[in-house]
Amino acid sequence: KALAGLRRINLEGLRWRVFDAKGEVLGRLASQIAMVVQGKDKPTYAPYREDGDMCIVLNAKEVCVTGRKMTDKFYRWHTGQDGYVGHLKERSLKDQMAKDPTEVIRKAVLRMLPRNKLRDDRDRKLRIFPSSEHPFGDRPLEPFVMPPRKVREMRPRARRALIRAQKKAEQQLQGTGHTRKGKKREVQIEESDG
Amino acid sequence: MNKDKIFKLAKGFRGRAKNCIRIARERVEKALQYSYRDRRTKKRDMRSLWIERINAGTRSHGVNYGNFMHGLMKENIQLNRKVLSELSMHEPYSFKALVDVSRNAFPGNKKVVLPPTKVGLSIVV
Repeated sequence: KALAGLRRINLEGLRWRVFDAKGEVLGRLASQIAMVVQGKDKPTYAPYREDGDMCIVLNAKEVCVTGRKMTDKFYRWHTGQDGYVGHLKERSLKDQMAKDPTEVIRKAVLRMLPRNKLRDDRDRKLRIFPSSEHPFGDRPLEPFVMPPRKVREMRPRARRALIRAQKKAEQQLQGTGHTRKGKKREVQIEESDG
Repeated sequence: MNKDKIFKLAKGFRGRAKNCIRIARERVEKALQYSYRDRRTKKRDMRSLWIERINAGTRSHGVNYGNFMHGLMKENIQLNRKVLSELSMHEPYSFKALVDVSRNAFPGNKKVVLPPTKVGLSIVV
């Protein structure tokens, strides 16, 4: 219910843009969202007033990251008071996705916005949903077309690892007849026959 | 004589700085220094604001600011950034014509257009 509320604060000449996070890389998506929420894609941008569009992000649990960030990216924050050392808590991306996948995108976008007094208002314009269900079905929604992305070619070692993994997957699909255990069994059968 | 002038300049300041001469004098001196510096930085800030607006306007037509300016320089169109930002805000059709001129002179962008371009122009009005 907090998603449908808290909207009285901003004005309603704005569009409602829908971002689909399925299969998108986390940071690249977040930078596009940050541009739209700030209102920097409108020629009537003014730095002193808040004019960005409402952004709705769907399928937040299907956002991807490259490399080993799923297990190796940590969100860290300090607890404890008065600047005493220690109290550093961290949580990895995997756990955060299991706990609350909307927080991942929200943190990413918030950390890309400029740290000024408008940041909270911009946060209020961001609505993130883990799946495709959203309570804003009656609005005039507009899908956001992501700009085409140049994917860099894989490095040789990663490419070789990928090819090896593909070959292994193919072999498993083709059945266990080609494994060594299978051959031994065939040999034993032949010997017993012979 | 000097005190009155200081208090006149210190209108709107916070706390004791508008009432007590010792504090007001410091704050007014600082305020004058800032205003000297900012008369020069205002020109820079305004130009960067124009550039941001032109960038936003051209990107909604699929061209980014650098290529747009390059195309205009090639065609020897000498409109300055202030005028271009005003055009992009208030005269969307003329701005689109300029973007097309620039794109003819210097192609170099993949065209990424939002599906309803009518909406893209109507937000500016």
